[in-house]
Amino acid sequence: MELLMKILIPVGVFAALGLVLGVMLAIASRLFAVHVDERVPEVLECLPGANCGGCGYSGCAALAEAIVSGRAAPTACTVGGGACAKAIGEVMGIEVGEVVRMRAQVMCSGTAEFAQKKYVYAGAADCIAAANLGGGDKLCPNGCIGLGTCVSKCPFGAISVVDGVAVVNYRKCEGCGVCVAACPKQLIALIPYDSRHWVGCKSVDKGALVRSYCDVGCIGCQLCSKVCEADAIAVENFCASIDYARCTGCDKCVEKCPRKIIWSARKQGRGLVISREELENN
Amino acid sequence: MKEKLKGCLRQLGEGLFSNNPVLIQLLGLCPTLAVTTSVNNAVGMGLAATAVLICSNLFISLLRRFIPRQVRIAAYIVIISGFVTSVELLMKAYFPALDRALGLFIPLIVVNCIILARAEAFASKNGPLASVVDGLATGLGFMLALVLIASVREILGAGTFWGMPLFGEGFKPAIIFLLPSGAFLTLGFLIAGVQKICNIRDDRRKLEGTDPEKEELA
Amino acid sequence: MSFTDVLLLMFGAVLVENFIFSKFYGCCPFLGVSEKPATALGMGMAVTFVMTISSAATWAVYYLILEPLGLQYLKTIAFILIIAALVQLIEMFLRRFVPALYAALGIYLPLITTNCAVLGAALVNIQKGYGFGASVAYGFAAALGFTLAIVIFAGVRVRLQFADPPRAFRGFPLTLIAAGLLAMAFSGFAGIRF
Repeated sequence: MELLMKILIPVGVFAALGLVLGVMLAIASRLFAVHVDERVPEVLECLPGANCGGCGYSGCAALAEAIVSGRAAPTACTVGGGACAKAIGEVMGIEVGEVVRMRAQVMCSGTAEFAQKKYVYAGAADCIAAANLGGGDKLCPNGCIGLGTCVSKCPFGAISVVDGVAVVNYRKCEGCGVCVAACPKQLIALIPYDSRHWVGCKSVDKGALVRSYCDVGCIGCQLCSKVCEADAIAVENFCASIDYARCTGCDKCVEKCPRKIIWSARKQGRGLVISREELENN
Repeated sequence: MKEKLKGCLRQLGEGLFSNNPVLIQLLGLCPTLAVTTSVNNAVGMGLAATAVLICSNLFISLLRRFIPRQVRIAAYIVIISGFVTSVELLMKAYFPALDRALGLFIPLIVVNCIILARAEAFASKNGPLASVVDGLATGLGFMLALVLIASVREILGAGTFWGMPLFGEGFKPAIIFLLPSGAFLTLGFLIAGVQKICNIRDDRRKLEGTDPEKEELA
Repeated sequence: MSFTDVLLLMFGAVLVENFIFSKFYGCCPFLGVSEKPATALGMGMAVTFVMTISSAATWAVYYLILEPLGLQYLKTIAFILIIAALVQLIEMFLRRFVPALYAALGIYLPLITTNCAVLGAALVNIQKGYGFGASVAYGFAAALGFTLAIVIFAGVRVRLQFADPPRAFRGFPLTLIAAGLLAMAFSGFAGIRF
């Protein structure tokens, strides 16, 4: 009898404890119920789930909530691209326009071979730290520092540093834009995934000065903008830039550029370049 | 039968070395850091955790079809804490000195992430026999890591191994290894050693051209 | 226990017997959620919140239910159940009434159920035989010590990102060694007896 009680009392106590806690939680879940839009998990389903933070929200769940509450556009996720935006549009019941898939492009060609250094940097291996030391070790104030802050930030492992300049592997790039925000020199831009041309320089110095420290810097000679039939190239602050809405991909500027810094990948099957070597080998 | 035995052996190898819960997966660090002041304690903690792991894995594997998905974590914790309490009472009765030395870390096995991780990742998806072997392998891996750390700390920090003095009278132990900071430092250097071995292995694979990552890049 | 005793107990729990650097309770979140000072502070606040309340709840259950029935040996199971339910309850409560706090702490709350600091504090309270007031004060102070440790460590780790260690030390080993150095600093407090 005593043994039976020894077993029954704990069992009873724990059954009661479990019951009380369970009932308490059940009541609480009623009492404290928050109306959650059932579209939030549905939108979350559509998102890629990489939690890269490229959209500016702390993760895919936060973006889903923002989209449902109307604070973010259904197209806010650049990683998911068109298919994702369309699926979200279906959940939300809105028409979504075409979304152009983007990819990141590092706008600098100044590898160790071409760009001159102003001092030997031996500090912390981080671009932001180096940029605080006289703007980095390159003489060019706008050049890629090449210590790979973007490499470590990229959630998809798409960036690597080759010869002192970061290059984006387009096969892995999802166009989230995390690297764009990370670069202390604002050298990375998102361009349409299929665009075949880009200007590999962001220098805003005058031509003579650029010539003095870099063999592959834009000198603002305007030859490209004159040769362009589609009027797609503008030269501002001694630096050319391409308007991708107008560019027809005719290659004329590439041939004309005296500094060879308008890159083209026309000759290659896929039409895009991942590194200098790949371009030069073809 | 032979196949089954081979599978079990492979599981054991994984738990002990290539998938060691502490040195590779970096789980269950609280007891790892706390009780490794002597090899004796480490073995005691390792055995206690192994016993709990085997039992909890067995029961969770047997009950895996009856536990509803939503409350599975709570159910696992209750099952685990039941076994932990049994182990605690057994230790109090038969090894009172060890129980005092390990202190609260015996009841705290309940919240050891290794046990919950194995329950969630393995026992809830596999049969009872495989789960028991997995529990044994993971537990022994945990014990191996504990003993490794404890050996370093006890030999350097107290000059003894399993309570036996190793050096003569003139030896002055480095007490820092018995202090909390010694635990962090020892584990840090041990994991660095493991990473070094992994790096060497990876480099060798790369040279041989069998690196899976490289193939993916190409 | 007089008020001074409680105050001394709290100081001791924050500095001398710091939960992480001298007792190793809560090392998993300490090493896992300490990459940025902001998230570390969020985790620390969530732990403080839960630990204070759970210290009170577990004390009540132990002395009002388990002890009169002679079921002290079941305290581990009872405590873990209470903590799990409490975390869930707090999560729902915050979500409904203090959404701002929920947004800040929400993602850390589920992690706390398996944080050994919370269960550890509850068990220490029983082991040392603290009264109700002292238990709550101890839980709060120990969690404060946890917060202090994790925030300081996050500050250290932010600077570690710029370090360029040998390949084998990259990542976790470097973090552990930094923690070891920090623990060394904290062991200086052990000389102070309150």
